[in-house]
Amino acid sequence: MSSMLKVVGKQLKNHPALIPLFIFIGGGATMSMMYLARLALKNPDVSWDRKNNPEPWNKLEHNQQYKLFAVNMDYTKLKKDRPDF
Amino acid sequence: MLFVHLFSQHALRVSGSRLRLRRILSLQDLQLKMSHEEKLKNYRTAPFDARFPNTNQTRNCYQNYLDYHRCNKALTAKNKDPAPCEWYHRVYKSLCPIAWVQKWDDQLEAGTFAGKI
Repeated sequence: MSSMLKVVGKQLKNHPALIPLFIFIGGGATMSMMYLARLALKNPDVSWDRKNNPEPWNKLEHNQQYKLFAVNMDYTKLKKDRPDF
Repeated sequence: MLFVHLFSQHALRVSGSRLRLRRILSLQDLQLKMSHEEKLKNYRTAPFDARFPNTNQTRNCYQNYLDYHRCNKALTAKNKDPAPCEWYHRVYKSLCPIAWVQKWDDQLEAGTFAGKI
C-alpha cells in the first residue's frame, strides 16, 4: 500500500499537473460516499434495527425536511394536521 | 408531488367613502383554530405529508390506512370517541386505489392482513 503511494508521489513530483486530477476525482468520490452514508444513516425510510426502530419515518416532525433541495415547497409554513392517538 | 398552496390574501373593499383593507384568514390560521369536525368539514384532499415528500405516495396511502385502524384500536381501548380517526380515513380514501382498500379490508376481515395494527 505505501509502496503504491510512493510511486504515485514520485509520478506527481514529475508531473505536477496531475494534482488537480486527484483533487477533483477525490472530491467526487468523497461526495458520493458522503451521500451514500447520509442515505444509509439518516434516511427516514431506512431502519437498521427493526425491533427497536420499526417505523423511523414516523419520527419526523410535521415540518422537517429531509430532502437536500425542495422546490416549490416551503416547509416552514406547514402545520400539524394529523390527530394524535 | 402532492402539496397544498397555502397563501394569505389581502382584499381591498370600497364601502361608501371609506377604503377598508381586510386580511382574509389564511388556511394556516384556520387550521390552528379548528376542531376535528371543522377540519373534516373543510377537507378537500390529502395535505402534504413531510414523511412522504416524493412523487411515489404508495407508502402515504398505506401509512394512513394503518393509522386509521391503529387510531380506532387505540381510542376504543382507552374508551374514547374514535371520531378524530376519521381524518385518517378521509386521507387514505383520497390517496389509495379502491382495489387496494378492498383487498386490505377483506384481509382484515379474514385475519390475514400483514400490517401491524
